[in-house]
Amino acid sequence: MKTFKHFDAESVDHVLAILARYHGKTALMAGGTDLIGVLKSEILPEYPKIIINLKTIAGMNTIKMVDKECRIGATARLADIAASGLIQKIFPALAAAAESVGSPELRNMGTLGGNLCQDTRCWYYRYPDKMGGRIPCYRKGKGPCHAVKGENRYHAIIGGKKCYAVCPSDMAIALAALDARVKIIGPGGSRLVPILDFYNVLCTILNPDEMVTEVRIPEPGKNTVQAFYKNRPREAVDFAVVSVAVRLERTGDVCKDACIILGAVAPVPYRAVAAEEAVRGRRLHEIHAADAAKAAVKDARPLSQNAYKIEIAKTLVKRALLSF
Amino acid sequence: MNETYRFIGKGTPRKDGVDIVTGKARYIDDVRPGPMLHGKVLRSPFPHAEIKKIDTVKAKAAPGVRAVLTHADVPPWMTGMPRHVKVLDQRVRFVGDAVALVAADTLEQAVAALDLIKVVYEKLPAVFDMDAALAPGAPRLHDMFPGNVVSDFPAFGPNTLSKVVRGDVEKGFKDADFISEGTFGYENFANPLPIEPPGVIAQWEDEQRLTVWSGTQSASWHRWIMQSKMGFPDIRAITTQCGGSFGSKNYAPQCMFYAAALAKATGKAVKVSYTKDEHFGAFVLRLGSRFCGKIGMKKDGTVTALAGEWMVDNGAFSDMSQSQIAVGCGEAQLVINCENWNLSTKLVCTNRCPAGVIRGFGGQELESAFAPLLADVMTQAELDPVEFFKKNYVKPGGQYIWREGNLWTCRGKDYTKAMEKGAAEFKWKDKWKGWLKPTSAEGSQRTGVGVGIHGNADVGEDDSEAYIRLNADGTATIHASVSESGMGQRSSLCKMAAEILQLPLAKVHMTPPDTLVNPFDFGLVGSRGTYAVGSAVIDAAEDALKQLFGRAAPMLGVQSQDLETRDARIFVKGKPEQALTWSKAIGIMRSVTGYGEFKADYSVPNFLILFVEVEVDTDTGGIKLKKVTTATDAGRIIDPPSLHGQLFGALGSAGLDTAIFEETIIDKKSGHMLNMNLTDYKWRTFNELPEFNNIILETPFPTHRFKAIGIGEISTSPGPGAVLMAVSNALGKPLHEYPLTPDRILKACGKEKGNPK
Amino acid sequence: MIQTKNRQKKAITLTVNGNLHKLNIGDQPHEISPSYTLAQTLRETLGLTGTKVGCDQGACGSCTVIMDGKPVLSCMTLAIECHGSKITTIEGLADSITGKLHPVQDSFVKHSAFQCGFCTPGIIMASKSLLDRDPSPDPHHVKEALSGHYCRCISHYQVVEAVMDAADKGGQADE
Ligand SMILES: Cc1cc2nc3c(=O)[nH]c(=O)nc-3n(C[C@H](O)[C@H](O)[C@H](O)COP(=O)(O)OP(=O)(O)OC[C@H]3O[C@@H](n4cnc5c(N)ncnc54)[C@H](O)[C@@H]3O)c2cc1C
Ligand code: FES
Ligand code: FES
Repeated sequence: MKTFKHFDAESVDHVLAILARYHGKTALMAGGTDLIGVLKSEILPEYPKIIINLKTIAGMNTIKMVDKECRIGATARLADIAASGLIQKIFPALAAAAESVGSPELRNMGTLGGNLCQDTRCWYYRYPDKMGGRIPCYRKGKGPCHAVKGENRYHAIIGGKKCYAVCPSDMAIALAALDARVKIIGPGGSRLVPILDFYNVLCTILNPDEMVTEVRIPEPGKNTVQAFYKNRPREAVDFAVVSVAVRLERTGDVCKDACIILGAVAPVPYRAVAAEEAVRGRRLHEIHAADAAKAAVKDARPLSQNAYKIEIAKTLVKRALLSF
Repeated sequence: MNETYRFIGKGTPRKDGVDIVTGKARYIDDVRPGPMLHGKVLRSPFPHAEIKKIDTVKAKAAPGVRAVLTHADVPPWMTGMPRHVKVLDQRVRFVGDAVALVAADTLEQAVAALDLIKVVYEKLPAVFDMDAALAPGAPRLHDMFPGNVVSDFPAFGPNTLSKVVRGDVEKGFKDADFISEGTFGYENFANPLPIEPPGVIAQWEDEQRLTVWSGTQSASWHRWIMQSKMGFPDIRAITTQCGGSFGSKNYAPQCMFYAAALAKATGKAVKVSYTKDEHFGAFVLRLGSRFCGKIGMKKDGTVTALAGEWMVDNGAFSDMSQSQIAVGCGEAQLVINCENWNLSTKLVCTNRCPAGVIRGFGGQELESAFAPLLADVMTQAELDPVEFFKKNYVKPGGQYIWREGNLWTCRGKDYTKAMEKGAAEFKWKDKWKGWLKPTSAEGSQRTGVGVGIHGNADVGEDDSEAYIRLNADGTATIHASVSESGMGQRSSLCKMAAEILQLPLAKVHMTPPDTLVNPFDFGLVGSRGTYAVGSAVIDAAEDALKQLFGRAAPMLGVQSQDLETRDARIFVKGKPEQALTWSKAIGIMRSVTGYGEFKADYSVPNFLILFVEVEVDTDTGGIKLKKVTTATDAGRIIDPPSLHGQLFGALGSAGLDTAIFEETIIDKKSGHMLNMNLTDYKWRTFNELPEFNNIILETPFPTHRFKAIGIGEISTSPGPGAVLMAVSNALGKPLHEYPLTPDRILKACGKEKGNPK
Repeated sequence: MIQTKNRQKKAITLTVNGNLHKLNIGDQPHEISPSYTLAQTLRETLGLTGTKVGCDQGACGSCTVIMDGKPVLSCMTLAIECHGSKITTIEGLADSITGKLHPVQDSFVKHSAFQCGFCTPGIIMASKSLLDRDPSPDPHHVKEALSGHYCRCISHYQVVEAVMDAADKGGQADE
């Protein structure tokens, strides 16, 4: 790996000060499971001069309930989230998402903040520089999205425009269904942003002088059920081909309210509003689940090789709805 | 079978076991023969281009850089078959092809210098598949191969098998009850992908003497084959522990060229260790394979004729493709007993990462491409494939033309019983419901079964030599050029020697794989370790004992044949009190050396049948492997855990899973390999293991003293076709394409319709 | 305005297999660069080549070491961030004085739970860590715990047997 300067962050303020001082020449390092890969492959033309280690910030890795809200620190490890009794009990969908990431070792290292802010896995974007040169593309600021006319089996079927890379984060999908908000701190202070607003088609809304410190999830009502399903070629060390997270409020077997989020189908976590409407106020059974599944993909416009994702998305939505 | 052995057949700890589990075992990246420079390769951004200009001034001036080499200043060494691949060429032929070489004090410095080399290319049109390569007016990759067809087949002498022409196919088709015809491909270009990337360290001792260390499968190849490519320097080749090869690291001509060229230019030892990216994108892949032809069969499964063309895509250049075609043509005749053949072949160059030697060696590629055709004709005949294989696999007395063009008569064994035992364990008769019929169907879950076979007559391939030195201290040293890349063969050969010498296993050692101290051996290629190398070692051990007894007999006042030995003591048979230690017989300042050899014998084919049960999810297109059973006959098992390991290997090294998810994906416009990492290149994880059983019979074979044969190489080969059959049965539809990715499954289920309205 | 110490560490200490190492950060020989991974540092600087690097991208598990009680990937960990950590590598499992193998190592030898052996150090470290946390796992747990480990030779079946056998023995090595 090419070298850089390395600072251990002492506090959030310390991070902000470094970010401000070395504007745009820095990279934040949490678990490093994504960032180190990006650096080793030299996929980006700009190589950071300074790496800021966030793991040294005391107390930013906790998981706790405060005022009917669960607060998970940005450097909380995925393994700890998956194993947390609190999360398993109140947010089983989040525990399932955390458990589905990579491998046990990766979960021992990877953090929540890193998972949310990780870079895309598009194989054109990630092409290693030393194998003939990195591939410029729309996302890198130059050229087209090669997936459109190229190899696109894992790319977006919904909402792709200039770039068809999908958001790779599993945690984001579960968190979106759970109505979580991301706490962002920057020079202007802090703000809480709903997960769905945290992403834009090319990445996150974070400015180069900001960071994520925490995620807050409201405690769900008593009659809430939730599920996270992930389809992938391999049962470990694999990103989602399609994932779905569902949260339902029920009275008896009637669905009062629903939140259905699809992952890996779009550049951002995709809220399947039409699917939610298809189940809201209805009994959950095979027919309504199938209707919802169909509605979930009504906006899908697949590329040449990824129409199969539509079918998988439908299946996952159906299975998730029928799992309760 | 009634012979009892002290070591043979028992699971004994691998001799390198403790080193492996403690981290002491040294692989190529772990050895430090001395101070070394680090070599790196600048790689091409284009699939096909002419280098117009290279400016290396800045790179040469960079800190730590000791040499920068381009096509203009590398040695004139050549590899390829026939010779057509230079160390560096002015023309690049795939994305990732070598452009320039750098040696620097540190790896980081070498990498940094790559960025400073400025190259001007003239882009040339490129061809990424055989159709494009063969089209009229297609860009030519090599001047010496018009039409991009390699027609020179020097692999195994003047009659190297490049086609199978026997009998009268026209008549054969007339006699057939059923005929199937079509074109089917096995063009995944899967990667055997041993976990360890390849690496070579080279150092010139003087102008003519080169020492190379490598993490490869065969020290001999790095001397004997590489000498001929490099103007016959005196090469001393040493291999370290090898982190997996599966054929792909039999040798590593490019890595060795780079290291040796840089070592020559700098006068220092240079190490070239590939990154995983380079291992993926610029080392070796499986051959692309396509079969276009027809087969005729009678109702009872007798194959009456087979005709067609086998098209082979070897990527940018060919090193061993012709050898694989020759062996593949031979293997087809083992699997299909047929009097009338007209099988031709065509070897084609494309602008892809080159193909190399990989377990399966042509046969897997041909038979996997051929599987759908075989399935189709059996479907027509409603014939149980196990019955077909029983009828058709070569039996004692059966004949086949082998790789060098000679007709061989099988002296091996009938494998019918192995097939039946395997079928019984798998419960084939219960699970097989007929062609295109699922074993079970419940909701979206359907299960199906399939079966495949493979065999190779390479267990006695090529020549081997060995020495055994009996030492006065009651130890024995085997001198044989045997590298360890996972088969445990170094241990197994020690076992064979220990059995003959009746020494404790701990007292039998093998010299390190170093051509300076060992006689010739062709290496552990194919499945030749047990029979070919084993025979040489056994022969040497017997020769040594003969000499030992020759010395002891007069001392004990008896004839040689009256003697036996155990634990370094020599006894008169039946009179254990009349004894002599080895040390006395040998003399403490002496040793006894036996010599053994083996000459190629292609008359004893090995065999493997593989049954597979899959579960297909028709709503997600996912395939779950539920159960695998293999069955074979090994003659005599030398070391059970090692043999089982080889058979489990069916799931690795671009084997069975090439039918489910393994493939190399390239961009069809730019030629970039896109899935060159272990996240995007799919492999089987620990939590997705099927139930896996191996049925191994032990019918004595007419080979050597232990009546054993090797099997290791063939375990990956029957899987892909078997999976295709199983999934087709599960879905009730013939599926032809490898791998069976979810989109293909869903399409077959009529589910993937594209844009919903 | 807060005081920021925009300084890189000058040196780190690591306890590897019970031995304390002080490593200076820098670009001189014998110093480690801030970009050095833990794998690089163990292998190149400390000469502990038992830890293997297969993919160097976090996807094969061969570089697994135990850091502060947990299996982690040393290829995706910066050495400079390991300051003060306790690390166990494959070289640290056997008894350093008697050489007696750790029960998991012993069991791997007994079952020949390897072919080429390149994945083995990583798999053993993960297995050892599993048994430390859960002395009697079922085979399913073993497979889950090892799910990030690539083994191309397919030693999986023998590995699971070896780990189960070591667990059954309650951590006692065969004599
Ligand atoms: C083989 C492999 C398999 C994987 N499989 C999965 C998977 O199945 N699902 C999945 O979701 N992910 C997967 N990942 C991706 C990733 O490793 C994990 O998601 C992990 O959680 C990332 O966390 P980290 O702390 O290691 O991130 P880092 O690598 O430290 O950081 C990732 C990015 O986020 C930024 N960042 C980190 N923390 C913050 C913060 N607090 N504020 C602002 N920016 C921040 C960093 O600057 C960097 O750009 C996989 C990775 C690998 C290598
Ligand atoms: S080498 Fe670290 S995970 Fe592969
Ligand atoms: S034993 Fe070779 S990779 Fe596992």
